[in-house]
Amino acid sequence: MMAQENRQPTAECGRFDAELMAYLEGESRPFVAAHVRECVFCAVVLADLEQVRFLARQMPLAEPSPAVWANVRARLEGEGLSRPKARNWDWLHALRALANPAPAGALASLMALGILLTAAPHALQQPETTASLFSSASPAEVAASASQAPESQLAHMVADLEATYKANEKFLAPDLRATYAKGLSSLDTSIQECQDSLRKEPANTLAHDYLVTAYTQKAEVLATALEFQGR
Amino acid sequence: MSPQKAPASKVASETQLITRAQQGDEEAFSALFESHKRRVYSLCLRMTGNTAEAEDLTQEAFLQLFRKISTFRGESAFSTWLHRLAVNVVLMHLRKKGLQQVSLDELDTSQDEPVKRDYGDDDRRLVGSIDRISLSRAIADLPPGYRAVFVLHDIEGYEHNEIAEIMNCSVGNSKSQLHKARMKLREWLREARSRGGLGAPLQVDQPMGERQG
Repeated sequence: MMAQENRQPTAECGRFDAELMAYLEGESRPFVAAHVRECVFCAVVLADLEQVRFLARQMPLAEPSPAVWANVRARLEGEGLSRPKARNWDWLHALRALANPAPAGALASLMALGILLTAAPHALQQPETTASLFSSASPAEVAASASQAPESQLAHMVADLEATYKANEKFLAPDLRATYAKGLSSLDTSIQECQDSLRKEPANTLAHDYLVTAYTQKAEVLATALEFQGR
Repeated sequence: MSPQKAPASKVASETQLITRAQQGDEEAFSALFESHKRRVYSLCLRMTGNTAEAEDLTQEAFLQLFRKISTFRGESAFSTWLHRLAVNVVLMHLRKKGLQQVSLDELDTSQDEPVKRDYGDDDRRLVGSIDRISLSRAIADLPPGYRAVFVLHDIEGYEHNEIAEIMNCSVGNSKSQLHKARMKLREWLREARSRGGLGAPLQVDQPMGERQG
């Protein structure tokens, strides 16, 4: 029977403390298991530590900003280590993509996203040329613009972009498709978790920041995937 | 470390990507980065507790990886190779910052603190009242030595003998530092809960690791 009354630690609690680390390391320590059946306070200590360990194993993965890849790519090119392919949004590629309905759809979505993300809320600007449309929709710029967009608008635009991606993902090579599916799934998990936290605690600014970051990163991942679709 | 088993098809496609990257194919670099960036960045973020530093270190880890990729012969899993490289990049950074000038054996001179128990009304367990966001915050507040061991063991899955080798300390010291880190986290989380500073509880009975959206 557990002791519920206020009291000071006993000699048994001291022995529990001494053996706790070894017990958590998986060593056989029958005393620890027996003591927590008798002492509610030590049982709480053990349960807390096991909970910390449990949650640690399940920590979500975080996303670096698009700038990291942009910097890595620039350095690789600068050092002559990578052999860049033709830029994704050059004129020849754009013309070729526009002749194909599926990449053209993806392109249109990217263009729309680029326009919406970069437009001022009450002064939507129409780009003057196709080239400026393309340049406004590169993945890094999409992500950078997305990070500035209002949350509600961002969620809506990411959903539109994802719908386009889903409609055209069959054009991706299987290995890339699997990679993007995993990345998007991880981001969806983060978004869901942040939304759950915000539903319960609307003033949780950390959860809000994480949510905007997750949306922004999802926009960048989708834009990158659509880039590959267009190749 | 116990790397997760990857499906054969994934390993095959990654092998192809590595071969292409060894030939300087930018698309292969991009795909490898995309595939591993979250794991490397998360490691850097948790080891440093700082997003700007974590991004710089992620960048440095991938640059080192791509510079050395021509020497990769597949004796170990690619992810294991990359991960160990990233750990070394982070530890080198921490040493340069003066946070790990000495080994953990030398650092571990503190007396064991008594286990804190909440005798009285507040003896509720943390179960159900902490979430991963709270834990992330608490980890970031750990002293760097404790944080490194906790991240490597409890989050990244390294064994104590591997940590001892990486951190240049004894196995016993790694175990001791880990225990102290867990105790500090518990203390921080209980204090935060009593202040009402923890976020909304997460449903901890739900699998969260690679939960499908």
